[in-house]
Amino acid sequence: MTETGSMQPDAQRLSLLESVLSAANLGAIVLDSERRIVLWNRWMERHSGCPASAALGVDFFTLYPDLLQQRVGTAIGQALRDNFPSLLSQTLNKAPFALYANAALRGERMQQAVAITPVDVAGATRHCLIQINDVSNAVGREKLLRDQTLVLRTETFLDGLTGVANRRHFDVAMEKELRRAKRIDSALSLLMIDIDSFKSYNDHYGHQQGDACLIKVAATLAEMLQRPGDLLARYGGEEFAAILPETDAAHALQLAEAIRARICGLDISHARAGATKHITVCIGIATMNIPNPVDSDALIGAADRALYLAKHAGRNRVMAQSQGKARQEIG
Amino acid sequence: MIPLTELEHDALVEIFNIGVGHAAASMSAIVNEEVKMSVPSISFLNRASAAKLLSNKDDERICGVSQHYEGAFNTEAMLMFPENKSLEIVRLMVGESVPLQELTEMEQEAMSEIGNIILNSCVGTLANIFQLELHGSLPLYHVGTSAEILSASGSPDDTTVLMLHIDFLLEKQQIRGYVAFILDLNSLQDLKHQINRYLLRSTGSA
Repeated sequence: MTETGSMQPDAQRLSLLESVLSAANLGAIVLDSERRIVLWNRWMERHSGCPASAALGVDFFTLYPDLLQQRVGTAIGQALRDNFPSLLSQTLNKAPFALYANAALRGERMQQAVAITPVDVAGATRHCLIQINDVSNAVGREKLLRDQTLVLRTETFLDGLTGVANRRHFDVAMEKELRRAKRIDSALSLLMIDIDSFKSYNDHYGHQQGDACLIKVAATLAEMLQRPGDLLARYGGEEFAAILPETDAAHALQLAEAIRARICGLDISHARAGATKHITVCIGIATMNIPNPVDSDALIGAADRALYLAKHAGRNRVMAQSQGKARQEIG
Repeated sequence: MIPLTELEHDALVEIFNIGVGHAAASMSAIVNEEVKMSVPSISFLNRASAAKLLSNKDDERICGVSQHYEGAFNTEAMLMFPENKSLEIVRLMVGESVPLQELTEMEQEAMSEIGNIILNSCVGTLANIFQLELHGSLPLYHVGTSAEILSASGSPDDTTVLMLHIDFLLEKQQIRGYVAFILDLNSLQDLKHQINRYLLRSTGSA
């Protein structure tokens, strides 16, 4: 052992480490094997509003009781018991610690990335180090990127002729809404809407007028489906599909009937439409009720079958298919 | 090439299934949705064959999360998926989000956490059952060809890789991934020795 200068090297090193820890731009907490807080750096004081004097010596889970049952609790156990480190990402763990950019003002919690690692201490049982990084800026940047991507993508997700969502958008939205419905235990209805005798309309009036008819019908449908979450898409040719989140069978039937009546009321002449002499639609309804979740193929299949039955029964009709049984509602 | 007896092999498959079971439970708790995981099979390969198993095309990009463990035996453990599958897993775990072409920084971090959970559970179960102590490093995220990722630890070409097939079941989507344990000769012998100690203990002294 050599000793140079007037200050003792050990004391000097300790003082250096303390200064580094309090200058560090990240949160550092050290727990002993009994999960008592033995280190709480300046950054933690600043962003939690809890001074080191109040934290030191306290059981970590007395200070943060709700973290015991969460991944933070598991990770601390794993570090102290198994000697394994854990990473807690911002994406999968939404701001576990009550930390704020400005602890006095509170407001929204800081976005956090956390690492919990075992630390061997000479002459003592194992400790663990909790490091917390503020990733709010990175999260903000990614949100901006996603928002802009969403805008660009929305443009490529629209049907060129009618301006409503296209088939690709429908497929994505369908999966998303089904997942959401299952998560929040809510019903979801799907309408398949098909313009009656559209082929003969095109043959008789020409494709330009056919397009004009599609645009008019799409605009009318879009106008009627205005709740947040409702999605109208052009499913193909003269067929439209409407996804109706949080809508049960009775409500969907009501809406479908209103749509049928409204399109009929547009009074778009169609000389080849049979008795009615104007444009009408058939609508097939399928509803997913939560005790019996289905996948998108099954729901689309059910709506398609209902539509097929409606078409078969004549024009200007609504049919609902629920739990495998079709029932005719409106003639 | 196959250094284990059938009994040793079966014991290892069982241990890893317990391990991924724990990992699945942790992941279910995070996403509030049922996540199922199983290890249908394991195999011992050299590093080059392991790389081939992972990608059909030479230039296919693989996403990997690695952790180094040392103690009773030393190994570089790696969770690997084709890059498009890792996008899918993160998207399913995170729920609603606009999927971009590649994993963003925050998504890479989420993927690292998923790897961390799975690898710690697998190795932790091994350590518990073998009654030994291992020390682990924090996870690292890699993207590259399977050959690049498997050689990231600097091990020679003929190093043995213990390869686990892992099936994930998330919201009815099944995704196949792999966990590789890169083992040098000593570690391989240590592992075999530990399995035998365990078998001896669990089947009694008779």
